[in-house]
Amino acid sequence: MKTEAFLFKLKPMRTIFAGLILVIITAVGWVSLPLAWANYYKLSIPQIKYRGGNFNPRPDVLSSFLGQVAKRTSIEVNREPIQMQVTEPALYQYPFIYMGGDDSFEPFSSNELRVLRNYLSYGGFLLIDDNSGKKDSAFDRSAREMISRLFPQVPLQKIPRDHSIFRSFYLINQVAGRVNNSPFLEGIHIKGRVVLVYCANDLAGTWARNNLGHWDYDIIGGGEKQRQLSIRLGVNIVMYSLTLDYKKDMVHLPIILERLRKYHSQ
Amino acid sequence: MNLLMEIFGLDPSEYKQREFQWAFEEAGVFFPLMVFLVPLALWFFWTSLSRIKSPVTKSFLFILRAAAFALIVFLLLKPELEFKKKNVLTNTIAVLMDDSKSMSIKTFPDEIPRIDFVKTTLDKNRKFFEALEKSFKVDLYFFSDRVDPVPFSEVLNQYEPKSLNTDFGSSLSQLKERMEGKPLQGVMMFTDGADLTEGTEEVSKDLLNLLVDLKSPVHTFQAGSNDRFKDLAIGNLEAADFGFVYQPVRLSVNVDASSMGNKNVSLVLREGENILVTKILELKERISRYKADLEFVPRKKGKRIYTLTLPLFSGESIATNNRRDFQIKIIRDRTRVLHLNGRPSWDSRFLREVLANNPKVDLLSFFILRTLGDDVVSPTSELSLIPFPTNLLFSDYLNSFDLIIFQNFRYDPFIDLRYLSNIKNFVEAGGAFLMIGGDLSFQQGGYERTPIEEVLPVRLQKRSPSFMDVEFKLEMEKQILHHPILRLEKDDDMNREIWQGLPAMNGVNAGLIPESGAHVLAGYRKDSSMIPVLVAGSMGKGRAVALATDSSWNWNFRRVGEGGSGRYYQKFWNNIIAWLTGDTETQLIQLETDKERYQEGDGALIKFKVLKDDYNPDPGRNVTLILQSAAGESREIPLQTDKNGEGSYEFIPAQEGFYKARIRVERGKEKTCRELSFGVFSETAEFDKPLVKDSLLKKIAEVTGGQYQVLNAGTNLNGYLFENPEVFEKTKTRVISLWDNWWAYGFIVGLLFIDWWVRRRSGLS
Repeated sequence: MKTEAFLFKLKPMRTIFAGLILVIITAVGWVSLPLAWANYYKLSIPQIKYRGGNFNPRPDVLSSFLGQVAKRTSIEVNREPIQMQVTEPALYQYPFIYMGGDDSFEPFSSNELRVLRNYLSYGGFLLIDDNSGKKDSAFDRSAREMISRLFPQVPLQKIPRDHSIFRSFYLINQVAGRVNNSPFLEGIHIKGRVVLVYCANDLAGTWARNNLGHWDYDIIGGGEKQRQLSIRLGVNIVMYSLTLDYKKDMVHLPIILERLRKYHSQ
Repeated sequence: MNLLMEIFGLDPSEYKQREFQWAFEEAGVFFPLMVFLVPLALWFFWTSLSRIKSPVTKSFLFILRAAAFALIVFLLLKPELEFKKKNVLTNTIAVLMDDSKSMSIKTFPDEIPRIDFVKTTLDKNRKFFEALEKSFKVDLYFFSDRVDPVPFSEVLNQYEPKSLNTDFGSSLSQLKERMEGKPLQGVMMFTDGADLTEGTEEVSKDLLNLLVDLKSPVHTFQAGSNDRFKDLAIGNLEAADFGFVYQPVRLSVNVDASSMGNKNVSLVLREGENILVTKILELKERISRYKADLEFVPRKKGKRIYTLTLPLFSGESIATNNRRDFQIKIIRDRTRVLHLNGRPSWDSRFLREVLANNPKVDLLSFFILRTLGDDVVSPTSELSLIPFPTNLLFSDYLNSFDLIIFQNFRYDPFIDLRYLSNIKNFVEAGGAFLMIGGDLSFQQGGYERTPIEEVLPVRLQKRSPSFMDVEFKLEMEKQILHHPILRLEKDDDMNREIWQGLPAMNGVNAGLIPESGAHVLAGYRKDSSMIPVLVAGSMGKGRAVALATDSSWNWNFRRVGEGGSGRYYQKFWNNIIAWLTGDTETQLIQLETDKERYQEGDGALIKFKVLKDDYNPDPGRNVTLILQSAAGESREIPLQTDKNGEGSYEFIPAQEGFYKARIRVERGKEKTCRELSFGVFSETAEFDKPLVKDSLLKKIAEVTGGQYQVLNAGTNLNGYLFENPEVFEKTKTRVISLWDNWWAYGFIVGLLFIDWWVRRRSGLS
């Protein structure tokens, strides 16, 4: 904890320093190079803004979550918070988007649904997280209605435990979150790929961390282990969106199955 | 009758034959009707004369009326006289001599070829045929599955066992057609009876019907016999025309054995000098046919020539059927791709999706999911990560891949430096290598002065920064758009428009200097210089591509966001894979034959196309075609390409076997070649069923009323006699109607007039 506090003290200075360098680089770049899409190769997770309700009940949660992703994996991340509406042209720069909330929200317009449908059908990924912590919440109802309008022909289904999402990085055998409203993830499958994951357990509630490094929310039920499982689930979801069914390749199976056997026997 | 003919203007000396016939066609109705009408008419005639007292007059009139009635009935039947003019024909005897390849089989113990029995018989019975020709027209034919006429004087000169298929049904059918209108009085058939279409037990109904239709005796003369016939033969071979490399290829072979005794023989499958598989067959005296299934795994692509052999034992009737050469085209079932990713990224994600969804690609991916500096906050047992199997991939199984992709991949610490040499050797030997850019690639991947740099079509120049986070549009020379990698559309203009319309890219690896001989397909124009982004080149027998950016996924997902689709992204990557793995259409020299296999005597057409390095046609280019015959003799033929860079050469292969054709193109000091092989096959079916079929020959003779005889050195044909009836040929006919003329009607009217006159004289009205 002391180390984290020390880092926090250094952070404003580092931020200013980094900002200065950025200004210089940008100025030089403006002269010599075309305008670049900054950090294009890093993983950014924009948060979707929508009308009504509260689209951002866990402020800066994605930044702290991406920090966990960067810490645990080789994925390069961009922790700059990004918020956007689905109709913004920049949407297609970010194949992974996050949508959270804790209240009901206005139905998406048909144009928003069309854009989102197109986005998900051709490579995008959407993680929807119910931050309310309640079963059958207002957000849950709004989200399910939106999903049913988004893919009227494809129902939201439970994601089986042998799906790549549960093996993409960590071996996971339970769906954790800040609360335990649902023991499973639900998803939409398009052409063999999960394009949308819905979690009713408030994943973001376990990821959110303040600038002091403290977790913002207590875990209901399972304590710190539950938080770690929830972070692992988040990392796996991100990893799945980037590697798809890579872990289903035959070369991985023997080792994964052996570890799963031992893992389940513990 | 002569008077009648003269009346009708016919010459009695010309029309020597005549025939009376009825033209009335409704006899089925007419005659029953007459049964009723005739008594009625006679009754009527008699009763109507009741007032005539004189019995003489009454009888006369009755006879008169009956005669008139009979005449009318006669005319109603439409009588006709046909006068025929005919010639006397010479009867024909057909002599059939089997010239199929099975006639070359020797008969033991004197080892006389079957055909020699026929030749000797024909020669020694020359007088018989000369005598026969005095009374008959003797037609001689060579036959197999067709009949070819041959003059008697040429028989011995031209008679060779060369035809590929014996089919009595087909040949006798052709004979029947040729004999149409000729009085065939007999057939003499010299053959071994080894008909390939007939079974061993019974003669087919079709053949029996055909023999009956000939309406002539067929004398069968058996050439050779099965006494002490000894042979070991590779019979029917079932094998697919193509197989897959590293996948088992299965063959099914029939082996026929006659009088081979009880012994073990080895059936050996070779490719060149290498024995691929051996199978021991346990021969039993009482079993004549064996089936053997063989399986082997081809290791190399291309048209491969294989040889099946059986040992040749002394005293075998046929030596050639102990060996069978055949060709199988070995192809990749799928292109095996090893895809190494330095870290998960959107670029690798979209490329993996394209590769994984390509049915022609067998993909093995590895992502570096964690580095040594990452803290997974978990024991290894709770991770799905597996150790990177470096040794397996880059030593044991490296050659099983067609393409290795390093996508933003830094080799250290995952691959030992010594394995990079293996990759270089892999490419030099014909493999493909692709490096995709990013901040872990090229110089930043530590590849300077490593074997990988020698494989790449670019040199890595020290530069800082070597990776630039810029947005740019790809540019390319118009001329290079013909390159297979850049062919997103076949139409040149549309292709150029597509490239211009693709979204911009982000990030480029700088400091890449194209190797001489490499082609900069696309680049990023910065100020006045062009930074190479897409470079392709050859290395030894293999090919390599450098793509100095990690943002090609912009052409997929970002283009979808702009209202387009990822179609051209997929096409681009499929093009790269096709070019790297040497797809036929990506070769600068394209060489093909018009057929996969030729029959002996067929003309072989070799076609080629020569392209320049930029894949534009190379017109007027001097090339050398090197033809290597089955016997190993080579000859060089100078040729030149036409305006489309194409050319061809046609020739008739002199013998059966496998030929090699190689096109050599010299551009300055550089020589490039392309080679293919093709087979010229001689039909061997005649030796698949080589046994003499005496039962068939006996049956033919029996069915047609002919005689069956086994030929020997002293066969005398003098006892064969043929009927020689006088047969006329109808050349001209004249039909005279006996009812449809004035004579007939006048006669009836005359009878009725006499009746009327007599009745008047008798006082009746």
